Amino acid sequence: MSKIDQSQFEWIGANVSDAESIKRPSTTYWKDAMHRLKKNKAAMVCLFFIVFIILMSVIVPWVSPYTISEQHLTHTDASMFFKDSTDGHMHIFGTDTLGRDIFTRIWAGGRVSLFIAFSAVFINFIIGVIYGGISGYIGGAVDNVLMRIIEIINGIPYLIIVVLLMMVLPPGPTTMIIAYATVGWTGMARLVRGQIMSLKQQDYVIAAKVMGAKPSRIIGRHLLPNTLSVVIVNLTLAIPSAIFTEAFLSYIGLGVPVPLASWGVLANDGSRVFQMYPSQLIIPAICISITMLSFNLLGDGLRDALDPKLRR
Amino acid sequence: MNKVLEVNDLHVSFDTYAGEVKAVRGVTFDVAEGEVLAIVGESGCGKSVTAQTIMKLNPMPPARIVQGEIRLVDKDIVNASEKDMMKIRGKDVSMIFQDPMTCLNPTMQVGKQLTEAIQHHQKLSKEDAHKEAIRLLQLVKIPNPEQRAKQYPHEFSGGMRQRVMIAMALSCSPKLLIADEPTTALDVTIQAQIMDLLQEIREKTNTAIILITHDLGVVASMADRVAVMYAGKIVEIGTAEDIFYRPAHPYTRALLKSLPTTDMDRSVRLVSIAGTPPDLLNPPVGCGFASRCQNCMKICKTELPPQFETGKDHLAACWLHHEDCPGAKTGGEA
Amino acid sequence: MFKYIVKRLFYAFLTLLALTTLTFFMMRLLPGDPFIGEKAIPETTLKALNAKYGLDKPVYVQLWMYIKGVFQGDLGLSIHYNRPVNDIIAQAFPYSFDLGIRSLIFATVMGVLLGIVAAVKRGTKWDTVTMFIAIVGVSVPGFIIGALLQYFLGLKLFQLTGIRFFPITGWNSFASKLLPAFALSFGSLATISRLMRTSMLDVLGQDYIKTAKSKGLSQKKIIWKHAVRNAIMPVITVLGPIAAAVLTGAFVVENIFAVPGMGKFFVLSIQTQDYTMISGTTLFYGAFLVIANLIVDIAYGFIDPRVKLTDAKE
Repeated sequence: MSKIDQSQFEWIGANVSDAESIKRPSTTYWKDAMHRLKKNKAAMVCLFFIVFIILMSVIVPWVSPYTISEQHLTHTDASMFFKDSTDGHMHIFGTDTLGRDIFTRIWAGGRVSLFIAFSAVFINFIIGVIYGGISGYIGGAVDNVLMRIIEIINGIPYLIIVVLLMMVLPPGPTTMIIAYATVGWTGMARLVRGQIMSLKQQDYVIAAKVMGAKPSRIIGRHLLPNTLSVVIVNLTLAIPSAIFTEAFLSYIGLGVPVPLASWGVLANDGSRVFQMYPSQLIIPAICISITMLSFNLLGDGLRDALDPKLRR
Repeated sequence: MNKVLEVNDLHVSFDTYAGEVKAVRGVTFDVAEGEVLAIVGESGCGKSVTAQTIMKLNPMPPARIVQGEIRLVDKDIVNASEKDMMKIRGKDVSMIFQDPMTCLNPTMQVGKQLTEAIQHHQKLSKEDAHKEAIRLLQLVKIPNPEQRAKQYPHEFSGGMRQRVMIAMALSCSPKLLIADEPTTALDVTIQAQIMDLLQEIREKTNTAIILITHDLGVVASMADRVAVMYAGKIVEIGTAEDIFYRPAHPYTRALLKSLPTTDMDRSVRLVSIAGTPPDLLNPPVGCGFASRCQNCMKICKTELPPQFETGKDHLAACWLHHEDCPGAKTGGEA
Repeated sequence: MFKYIVKRLFYAFLTLLALTTLTFFMMRLLPGDPFIGEKAIPETTLKALNAKYGLDKPVYVQLWMYIKGVFQGDLGLSIHYNRPVNDIIAQAFPYSFDLGIRSLIFATVMGVLLGIVAAVKRGTKWDTVTMFIAIVGVSVPGFIIGALLQYFLGLKLFQLTGIRFFPITGWNSFASKLLPAFALSFGSLATISRLMRTSMLDVLGQDYIKTAKSKGLSQKKIIWKHAVRNAIMPVITVLGPIAAAVLTGAFVVENIFAVPGMGKFFVLSIQTQDYTMISGTTLFYGAFLVIANLIVDIAYGFIDPRVKLTDAKE
């Protein structure tokens, strides 16, 4: 054994604070989640697309030299980037069979489609959180009855109910929102209820109760914030489903009435002349698909980022 | 005695999101035929990782054997291919896990889960394998084995499931049985039954057992030798007697002091070890226990202590036992 | 188990009742009167007609009569075709069913396989490619996929090669069934593969997989004997909704590929406001899917041994 200097054996004793010191930087839940979301390239690209599409939908119909129903009978079914020599403007996406500017119609249609999707999802969110929250928080017989109602609604394919409702109500965006919201909220309600149920059992919530916290405090401080992450993910993933429903209904002829346009209506119009002018279907199809894809991927990214199990 | 298992300077790391976690940082021990070696230590000290590495059960990646050697009945485990491991697992070495509630496949009959391993290693017909399964269930004292074999795991209680796990582990008479906290998830009365069963099996079959636990009571009841792990290293290893009556490492001493005994005066307070184990993402340069140790010296902070022999087959990794340390010969009682 | 089946049957019945009631009130809310046509009908005839169809009775009696009729299988007379809705369904539904069942089987088998591959090869190219296809499948509506397939594989490929690999429309040869079935199944295939992957990853992390591995079983055996059976459970529970998505999606895909199924009649009935046809089709599909759901639920009870005793499925 090699000789070791005696001074090395000087007594120091325990230094617990040294052991207790936290060596990793502390981050809050949301900060950490945002950090992880930013690292997810696919999700960030999707976020960019979503922002881009929303901005275009808001701005283009304002600044466009054409309106959505203005017809140019001299150049119907014009190809993409067709330059109109009479007024010097360009039809970036060409014109349709009635000579309407597709570029303007696409973004105006985006307004309608996105408005329907966002509003429907927002209504679902309100109904779902309240219904699910009540069911989960009160529990017992109330929960039982509320959940049985959902089970029955869920038993009927939602598109069938939506079609029925669309028949009765006057056509228009509001009708679409109502029709979708009538059945769409059940998923959110189930989710919130499940989350509240499991959170209620958590020791820290029981501890808060034992210490005499009021129900309002338990709901506001413990239950809602911890439900928020799953709700956000679900909302993001509900938007593509609403966009799909709008497109589907428009496609089977239950869309918004003329002169309004939506992506579904445009796809339906395009499909009639598809074999001759494929771009008239492909352009709205791409808009629908890219938007749905972006929301789906962003939702996936958010789920990964917000999942506390993945946090290390 | 023949050595069943030899582990030499084993290092295992996990490549995680945050960086490399050095879970096992140089572990050396061996197990002889028919011997019970207990590995004790608190959660996260690397004892389960060590055990699972012996069977290469850790998913790799993220786990990685950085260096070291594992020899199981003269087979090189570290360099063994997955195909070789399939022959070794269940035959030469098998394992019982902590939570019997989650260790059995919920959608497969218990008997089927048993015969599966038997048929895999011994070329038996379906009928013979079934008979063997019934015999094993009898061996672990499960009543009505014929009917029980047809049932699903959710129809068994926790203790019963652990018996099934033991039967499964014994199915091909392995040389080594690793029991990873076999009683932690069970009621105290059931714990005793399971420990008795393990003891009985050892006597009957002469299987070597590695018993991983943080329950010193369990250790005292059955271990021949004990290895104490702390922060990914074995800090002390020796016979059960050495460890309980002549502990040489301050951590072992502190651990024993924190244990209540029935003849203890109620006015005496239990001694707890202040502080927490180090973060193995950035393990300390010196001794892992230094910052919590009452006997900590300057050198403990800067140099890793090697294993010092403090008796026959009794090793402790603590600078107090260095020959130059003042008071080393007297044992350096705190 | 018996209790479980009875409970499921009861819910199926309640759902059908709710659907029928809903349809009844929808029909009453519709604008217009069933007997107002081109010609004015004399007052007395109108009264006689009202009496004949029971329209002079109180609402709850009418509701009862309607429910009784529906449960006896009478879906009324199509206004547009002037034929019983039952007849039209009997004629057209077999085509839709054929297309639907092909798509459903294809979606389930391929979805499960892709999900397994992605989970087992997690983090590799296989996983990335499979999941990219899946997210595209979830995000692109079936009618768009159908139209694109028709254009590129049906039309362009024919123009390029001069060989007609896939007919653009129709429902007779095997080749003509490929494109519509694929277009219809793609979305469901994607949903199933995503679900299967998640479920598979969850199962592969379970302790009993470690047990199986510690027994010395091969990766292949572990996956097929232990993991898949447990991982497939959540997939079975969504087969009901998936069947609904496939059958309703068929309305549009059939129109694109001119399959002589229910799709044509349904879309046309919407355009011509043929209310009895719409309500009849709706009721028929509703009932069909409620029964499909019921079968899935009962099958689940048989496959998962835990349901037999505890009834714990929620």
